[in-house]
Amino acid sequence: MAADDKDKLRKALREIKNLPTLPGIVAKLSKMAENPDTTTAQMGQVIGKDHILAAKLLKLVNSAFYGFPQRISSLSSAIILLGFNVIKSLIISASIFEIMEDQDVELWQHSLGCAVVCNVVAKRMGVSDPEEISTAGLIHDIGKVAVKMELPRQYAEINAIVKERQVPRREAELEVLGLEHAEVGSWLARSWNLPNKLVEPVAFHHDPGKAKEARLAAAIVHFGDIMVRGLGCGHGEDIWVPALNPQAWELLQLTPTAMDEILDEVEEKLWDVRGFSLDIKAELEANLQR
Amino acid sequence: MSRLLVAGAETFLPPGCRVLLEAKGFKLKSCQRLQDAVAQVLEDPPDMLLVEKGFAGDGDRQLIRAVSACLQKANIPVLLALDEKELLTEMDWGHFAVDDIVLQPFSPEVLLARLRLAEARMMRVFDNNPLSRLPGNTSILRAIQKTLDSDHGFGICYVDIDNFKPYNDRYGFARGDEVLLMVARIIVNVVEEMGRDESFVGHVGGDDFVFIVREEKITPVCERMLKNFDLVRNMFLSAEDVAAGAFIGKDRQDRETRFGLLSISIAVVTTGSGKYHHAGEVSAVASQVKHYVKQLDGSNYLIDRRDN
Repeated sequence: MAADDKDKLRKALREIKNLPTLPGIVAKLSKMAENPDTTTAQMGQVIGKDHILAAKLLKLVNSAFYGFPQRISSLSSAIILLGFNVIKSLIISASIFEIMEDQDVELWQHSLGCAVVCNVVAKRMGVSDPEEISTAGLIHDIGKVAVKMELPRQYAEINAIVKERQVPRREAELEVLGLEHAEVGSWLARSWNLPNKLVEPVAFHHDPGKAKEARLAAAIVHFGDIMVRGLGCGHGEDIWVPALNPQAWELLQLTPTAMDEILDEVEEKLWDVRGFSLDIKAELEANLQR
Repeated sequence: MSRLLVAGAETFLPPGCRVLLEAKGFKLKSCQRLQDAVAQVLEDPPDMLLVEKGFAGDGDRQLIRAVSACLQKANIPVLLALDEKELLTEMDWGHFAVDDIVLQPFSPEVLLARLRLAEARMMRVFDNNPLSRLPGNTSILRAIQKTLDSDHGFGICYVDIDNFKPYNDRYGFARGDEVLLMVARIIVNVVEEMGRDESFVGHVGGDDFVFIVREEKITPVCERMLKNFDLVRNMFLSAEDVAAGAFIGKDRQDRETRFGLLSISIAVVTTGSGKYHHAGEVSAVASQVKHYVKQLDGSNYLIDRRDN
């Protein structure tokens, strides 16, 4: 891709207002919002399971307009600061995929799964704010959704290459776009004023060594991305489990025993993810019948 | 130049009106779908809203609610456009929280006048704090007086931020303003969610806020507020200060002192059964309570329940 094409893409991405999400989640949240007994925290818990709405919430709270630019890096803080009414507005204004494909569900599940692993690892490593790292894990692949929405032709081309030639998705992206989804995601995150603590893990989740301020967070997201892929909980539209970056592995310093314990904890928590996924599908079907 | 959000069907605003409004300096943004209108309010709120009754079904009310929830720009005047026939059955204006109505079909000149009047009225009642957009002292006094005159018991709660001055010295005023906004948002969101009806939030100035909730809500509201504050606070501190658990600054006598990280103190005065007659008495008691609560470490609240 030529330099000015890249500029054009960057410009288009800056103007993206609405990344679509799964109709089932929006249906569930709309139903919750109508119930006067629903609390902000309960809404927050569901939003925290959706990479697109989570990113949107972080974009809002970090916008100059709300007064906290580049400051808020965790979802629970964003929810406390925005409050119930704004969250309700966010749900009304959310856009959904008009045609939902299996790929969208897989990517959603992959993102949520990655957040789960990040949380387990971050807690185990005793980082000061584990939630910040699971938030980064949740939104690490938003670049993929942006490519799908903004460049549908190239997106289809990438899919075809992955399928026919059985190459890693990243390779196909580089071939077609001259850049990969992590870079696209980082443009988005940056233009949305997200703090560096979130931008860097999104930008460098394939190459955590390049992160400056949030290298450990980037390494944890990198690890979570791969682990959840390996465990077969959703996929990031990739047929391969990507290779682990040695630098990241060194940073994490996980012993075999620690790995076993992490695996046990993660496996258990992924059941919740799968359960929620069924819940969302049921919600969607109920909605279609209405 | 006022930015006007026009929410209604495609033919809602006739070309004649549009031309006149634009010529008079209004910047128009039209939305035909509820989703787009609410997104506009969320991301780039207008100065005024003109909404068609029955917009997107019951979307009119949802949109009006979204506008009134928009704290950063309180007092967005809302004009509801409707047919005169609809007034034959009286409307519930508590349900339609609008500032004015305009009748359809529109007369361009009348529409313009209504919009200008709404703007002018908004400027008159504006005693809101410029930073937090919360009601200021005039409204606070009025709210306290209303509480004192009521038959119910209320808590009048004074919030202030501990170690705000050393924070400002260390992080600068812009960051200090962020903290004020953060506290304002936490108070408003908790009071709205848990305090619900008959509650009030105002900004006295600087790091002093007041909120009023029914007596039975005082404890849960204060506890949630402290909890939320503690959850969010670290986002406004540097990693080093968080790790150290304190920061070093100068006290009022210019001596080097170790200050605790930011926290909030809430001094609560309970009213009811004619204990107090005017706002001055309440604030006198509040300052005594505040004196005690400020001496405690970290975030705290203290309720004064004395009988006279």
